Amino acid sequence: MKRRTFNKLLAGGALGALAGRMASADEVTSAVYGSFDGVTVRAKLIGGAQYETLYAEIPKWEAATGAKVDVISRKNHFELDREIKQDIAAGTLDWDIGSNHTSFAPQYGDIYMDLNSVMKPDVLAAFDALALKNSTVDGSLVQMPRHSDVSNLYYQKSLYADQGNKDAFKAKYGYDLAPPETFDQFKDHAIFFAKAPDFFGTQYPGKDEAITGRFYEMLVANGGALFDDKWNPTFNSAAGVKSVMWFKDLYDAKAVPAGVLNYLWDDLGAGFASGTVALDLDWAGWAAYFNDPANSKVANDVGLIRAPKGDGGKRAGWSGSHSFSITKTSQNKDAAASLVTFLTSHDNQMIEARKGLLPTRTQVWKDIAAEFGAAGNDFMVEVFNTYGQSMAEDAFTPPLIAPWIEVSNEIFPRLQKAILGEMTAQAALDEAAAAATRIMQDNGYL
Amino acid sequence: MARYSPKRLFRNRMNLVPFLLLLPAFMVLALVVVFPLGFSLYTSFTPYRLIRPNTLHVWIGLRNYTDLMGNGDFWAAFGRTVLFLTIALNVEFLAGLGIALLISRITWGQRTLRTIMMFPMMFSPILVGYQFKFVFNDNIGILNNALQALHLSDGAIAWLVDRNLAMFSIIFAEVWMSTSVFAILLLAGLLSMPRDPVEAARVDGCNPWQVFRHITLPYIMPFAYIAMTIRSLDVARAYDIVHVMTGGGPAGRTELLWTLIARTGYNNAKMGMANAMAYISILLSIAFTYFFFRKLIAARKFMRGAD
Amino acid sequence: MDPKLRRQLGRIVSWVLTFLLMMIICVPGLWVVLTAFRPNAEVLAKPAVWVPQVLSLNNFAKIFGFAQEVAIPVPAYFANSMIIALTSTAIALLIGMSGGYAFARYRFRFKDGLFLGLMLSRTVPGIALSLPLFMIWSRLGLIDTKPGLIIVYVAMNVPFTIWLIDGFFRQIPIELSEAAMVDGCTRWQAFWRIEFPLARSGIASAGIFAFLTSWNEYALASQLTRSTYSKTLPVGLMDFTSQFTIDWAGMSAMAVIIIIPALALTFIVQKHLIAGLTFGGVKG
Repeated sequence: MKRRTFNKLLAGGALGALAGRMASADEVTSAVYGSFDGVTVRAKLIGGAQYETLYAEIPKWEAATGAKVDVISRKNHFELDREIKQDIAAGTLDWDIGSNHTSFAPQYGDIYMDLNSVMKPDVLAAFDALALKNSTVDGSLVQMPRHSDVSNLYYQKSLYADQGNKDAFKAKYGYDLAPPETFDQFKDHAIFFAKAPDFFGTQYPGKDEAITGRFYEMLVANGGALFDDKWNPTFNSAAGVKSVMWFKDLYDAKAVPAGVLNYLWDDLGAGFASGTVALDLDWAGWAAYFNDPANSKVANDVGLIRAPKGDGGKRAGWSGSHSFSITKTSQNKDAAASLVTFLTSHDNQMIEARKGLLPTRTQVWKDIAAEFGAAGNDFMVEVFNTYGQSMAEDAFTPPLIAPWIEVSNEIFPRLQKAILGEMTAQAALDEAAAAATRIMQDNGYL
Repeated sequence: MARYSPKRLFRNRMNLVPFLLLLPAFMVLALVVVFPLGFSLYTSFTPYRLIRPNTLHVWIGLRNYTDLMGNGDFWAAFGRTVLFLTIALNVEFLAGLGIALLISRITWGQRTLRTIMMFPMMFSPILVGYQFKFVFNDNIGILNNALQALHLSDGAIAWLVDRNLAMFSIIFAEVWMSTSVFAILLLAGLLSMPRDPVEAARVDGCNPWQVFRHITLPYIMPFAYIAMTIRSLDVARAYDIVHVMTGGGPAGRTELLWTLIARTGYNNAKMGMANAMAYISILLSIAFTYFFFRKLIAARKFMRGAD
Repeated sequence: MDPKLRRQLGRIVSWVLTFLLMMIICVPGLWVVLTAFRPNAEVLAKPAVWVPQVLSLNNFAKIFGFAQEVAIPVPAYFANSMIIALTSTAIALLIGMSGGYAFARYRFRFKDGLFLGLMLSRTVPGIALSLPLFMIWSRLGLIDTKPGLIIVYVAMNVPFTIWLIDGFFRQIPIELSEAAMVDGCTRWQAFWRIEFPLARSGIASAGIFAFLTSWNEYALASQLTRSTYSKTLPVGLMDFTSQFTIDWAGMSAMAVIIIIPALALTFIVQKHLIAGLTFGGVKG
């Protein structure tokens, strides 16, 4: 029987009938996941529509192991972050599993255990090596990656196919109009297509860690770096200034909406789906939504290419993974490890991948593409191929240091000041670098 | 008279009774307010970071406070908060007065109108934040869409980004949410006003403005001060609104003390510093409240004199 | 101008002005209500769809789990909110009555200082209280429990409640209850038979303010509650946000569920509200 059919049967509740015949590692049985009668695993999970589908699978694990899962908290990540910090402060780490993220994990110090000691070696081997490496803090695997984020460039195909656009662009910029390979082209195209206030070239997230991340990946693509080897801030370099100017030039040319500095990810996705934005550098989670006529005006007109390159010849690839961690204070580490194994299993990653979330198991990449291929959904096949390539070749994480968010909180208001013209790009970055230096000193890195 | 003085009756009782009656109130306030405040006062003298519990035991004296003295961002937020409060409370008072005056003149359907007037009070501040985030969105917000459809503006106005408009937008949201409190209290004042002085003034040839200025306004001022006091008690509710609408941004243009404190304390995990900021902001609220409270006492005295 | 005509004109102007003001008050709120019945794609469209093309109960169906998505535990949130808001209001009123009575009827040392202190306790911003409160609550085992939140809301509402009720008791001539006491009532009986019934409006208006405050409070509830054991409706609103998306239509549907009980209660208590505020707050 093919794996796909098996999954369907599984989902259809045919588990019992099949249990006797099939002995796959994916089966949700006590042979695979152990038996934990009477154990209650307490979990704090990230909430929100994209994440919840997975949690609907939990009863299967409960049935197989005899354990109970008590979801004591379900909040968006920023709320959850605050709650976990409160728990550290109050010493109330009386729970077993917490949702985590590679960008956030380093700040939590040593509250989470090294999963190398509880996860089975064959399970770990099935994961993407880079994803596991990025989940490691100070040599300790503090989290199991659940799914990853990286951004690639969506565009409206018809704009690029239009002969009038091609001719006008060539006449104005002197090179052919084709989906952009570099950030310089990206900027030209965005300015070319924009007709504010009805149509915009692109959008970017304008605040919080989101714009810091965008700046960071562009900085790297332009050949720069946030810190040198000794953790001195180096982002106030020429590459840094060039990266800031990309944001500022688009803003000044009205190629992005005037309110962009208050935008976050939801505004970006909603904007591109509304058909009023030409190009959108965004995560894979939107792909299906963009191509769904019920939600999106650009359905069937969505093109996708890998994120552009910077001056350094490198592509942008700011990446991170959502993950699960187990507390050191957990009383039920084996049951918790079993549940984490289940939540990141092949079948469950398939469920999330069907929604467009990027898997962290190598086999799921292949199987999801094959599944969409068999269903004739070429667009989603292309999505997984494109994102698969960028996960393999372009992806890099922010520095995995405890004060990352604090440094980001110093950087992003200065980026905004530079974009708004309150300071020059160089002055803004110098100021941010000075603030970052202080933070790194306070935290013992310098 | 054989009857003993009424006043006696009450004074003769043991002096303990009022304290016993007040005991529950002070117990619950001690637990929820005083006790935690003591703790946060202590942490403001430490370099306490949430994610490093042992920093709680390091005493650094006034360093957080002296650091704050030279922190330009903090004082900018401080000034902005004073501006925000001053504008918001005054606009709320004026708008509330206008609404109350209009409704007080309408007799038919007044109960329904009063309920409608209180409509915004049903909205949780967090909801008000999201609501106006979408109203003021420059691209898909209904405000810009309406302006464009009516040809009142050709460009998308960046309500939440422009320096002045961003402050305007958060003040508007705050005013929308809280004007009702003023309106309902002022309306109560207007409806309780005795008719005789007004009639007498009319007979004496006063015009409507003079009647309003010299009779109505002094009468309802105590109500206004009550509303001001109530509002200055819980203005920090505006944190929810601002946090959702702009998060204090962009480039700190709408940063108020509360958003700054929350970011410092939780996102940056620097709770000691955040609590030092909070203490300074508490002094600010106490100053506002005390100011209105004095006014209220004075106005009450004035009224009793008028009686 | 003919005075009769002038009065007529004045009335029309005030009607029109009232109507305009009501529009400003209602439109942003009604827009939320309307959004609750429309799909996100239409609400957030550009150019705007002014005349709703699709009106449906889909957003509500989603919340209650009749669609494919995981249900938001609204019934649990609703029950939590009701229990927490009603209980805390009732307790705040009891404490407020006892405190208000003390201020209105007794003379004692530090009276003015205590009263001001009581008011000032309310000025502390929730954000400054949230962490210390959390740490104390976690020691007491009150995190994520209804009593934990009830105690906090009682404290939030007691100062204002005492203030209103104090003012109201002062309005009631002391002679009334004294007469009753001379006739053989105890002080306790005099209070319940004479003063309490007269103060009902004031108590009702203090109650509605306390209820609305508790019903809508978000900042502290979001810190002190965690799961369906104690999460309230405003905190539940955040279920519609996640890292990358905000389901605004879904949030609006939930908002309608939050607003309706509050609106109904306000409408019922309306009559007492004006009377209560009139005599309560000012004429102390």
